Amino acid sequence: MSETTVAMNEQEQLATLWFIAARAMAVADGTVPAVKEASAGLYAQAILGLSEETCRVAKSPESIGNLTLVDCLAGVHALPRELAEKIMTGVMMIAFADGHMEPLEVRWASMLASACEMTDEDFQRCCASARVIASMFNPTAPQVEGEE
Amino acid sequence: MSSEQGSNFEFLNRYDDRVSHLGAQAEQYVHTDPESCLFKLRLMVEMMARRLVELQAPRLADLDLIAILRSLEQYGMLPKKQADGMHAIRRDGNAAVHGSETPIPTAMRRLRDAHRISAWYCSMIHRGLKVHPSQFVPPPGPVQKDDHSQAMHEAAEALEDQIDDRRRATREGLLLFNEQEDVPTEVHRIVSELEGLDRVAQAAGEPLVDAEFVAVVMAMEMEQLLEHPTLGLDTREAKREAEKQFQRIKDGFELRETLYAEERRALMLYHQRERQDRHTREN
Repeated sequence: MSETTVAMNEQEQLATLWFIAARAMAVADGTVPAVKEASAGLYAQAILGLSEETCRVAKSPESIGNLTLVDCLAGVHALPRELAEKIMTGVMMIAFADGHMEPLEVRWASMLASACEMTDEDFQRCCASARVIASMFNPTAPQVEGEE
Repeated sequence: MSSEQGSNFEFLNRYDDRVSHLGAQAEQYVHTDPESCLFKLRLMVEMMARRLVELQAPRLADLDLIAILRSLEQYGMLPKKQADGMHAIRRDGNAAVHGSETPIPTAMRRLRDAHRISAWYCSMIHRGLKVHPSQFVPPPGPVQKDDHSQAMHEAAEALEDQIDDRRRATREGLLLFNEQEDVPTEVHRIVSELEGLDRVAQAAGEPLVDAEFVAVVMAMEMEQLLEHPTLGLDTREAKREAEKQFQRIKDGFELRETLYAEERRALMLYHQRERQDRHTREN
C-alpha cells in the first residue's frame, strides 16, 4: 500500500482541504472562470485519487461550511509531504489555467507553499508539473473575451 | 402533433426562423421517428452555437460543435445548465445519426431541453431581451396500444431519470461549488480572507516562500505555457506577456509597500502628537 493511501474519513478531509485550496486560487481575482472550475474536480479524481462521492461530501456545508483559509493552511501543514505537494501542484495548475496571474493568486501560492514547508526547489518543481498539466487541460489565453 | 396545437417553438419565429423551423420539425417526428427528431435537434443546437460564436468570438467559428460548446463554456458565454442540455442533444443526436435506436421518452426529454435552451438563446442574440416562452407542452402521441408498450415507455423514462441523476452526480463531484451554495457570497468571503492574509504578510513579514519569488517562478512557467499551441503566442510575445504580468505584480507589491510605510508613518505621527499634547496638558 502506498503511504498516501488513507482511510475514508481522511479521504474526505483531504478532499475538503483540496477544494478550499482550489477555490481560493480559482476565485482570487474575484470571478469563477469555467476553465478553472471544471479542472478542480478532474484533478481531485485523476491525481488525488478521490472518488466522485468523496468530492461531493467534501463540498457539503457540514464539511466545508465553517472552514477558513487558515484552517486549510493548518490542514495542509499536517499532511504527508507527498500529498501536500500534490495539492500545491493542483493549486498551481488552477492558477495557470487562464494564462494570467493576479496578486492574490501569488499571495495564496506563497502562503500554501510556506504552510507545506517547501524549499524554493520544491515549489519550482510543483510549478513545472502544474504547467504541464494545465497545458493538457486546454488552457485559455488572456484577454480573449470581447475580441472581434 | 395535432393540428390544433401550435408548435412549442413558435415564439422563436420572431428571433430566428431557421431555428424555430427545426424545432417545429423535431416536434413532428418525436413520436413517429425519434431518431429524426434528435437529428433535427442536433442541427438546431449547432445552428444556435454557431450564431452565438459568430456574435461573440468569430475566430472560433470554424471549429466543430463540441469544440465550439467547450470554448463558449470556457469563456463564460454558456451557463452550465444550458451547456448540459446542449451536450445532451449533441450526444444523443450523434448516436441517432450513427444508427442507435432512440426511445421516444429520450427524444421528448431532448425536445424539452431544446425548448428551454432556445429561450435562453433568444436573450443572448438580442442582448437584454426578456423572452417568456409559453410552458412546454409535450406533443400528443398515439394512445399506447398495449400494456407491453406502456411498460417499455415507463422503463425508458426510468432509465432517462437514472441517466439524469448520474450526470448531475458527476457534475456535482467535479465542480468547485455546490449548486446550492451562494457563489458570489462565497467568492467575496474567500477574497476577503486572501486580502487579510496579504495584510498579515505585509505587517509580519513574508512567509517561508516569499511572494516575489513565487511571482518570478509563476511568470517563467506562464511564459512557457503561453507558447503552448492552444494559446498560440510566439516566443517573443509569450516573453513580453509574462514580463508584463510579472511587472504588474511587482508594481503592486511596491505600491502596497509604499502605502503600508505611509500608513505606519501617519500612525507614528499621530502617537507622537498624542504624547506631546498629553505632555503639554500635564505641564
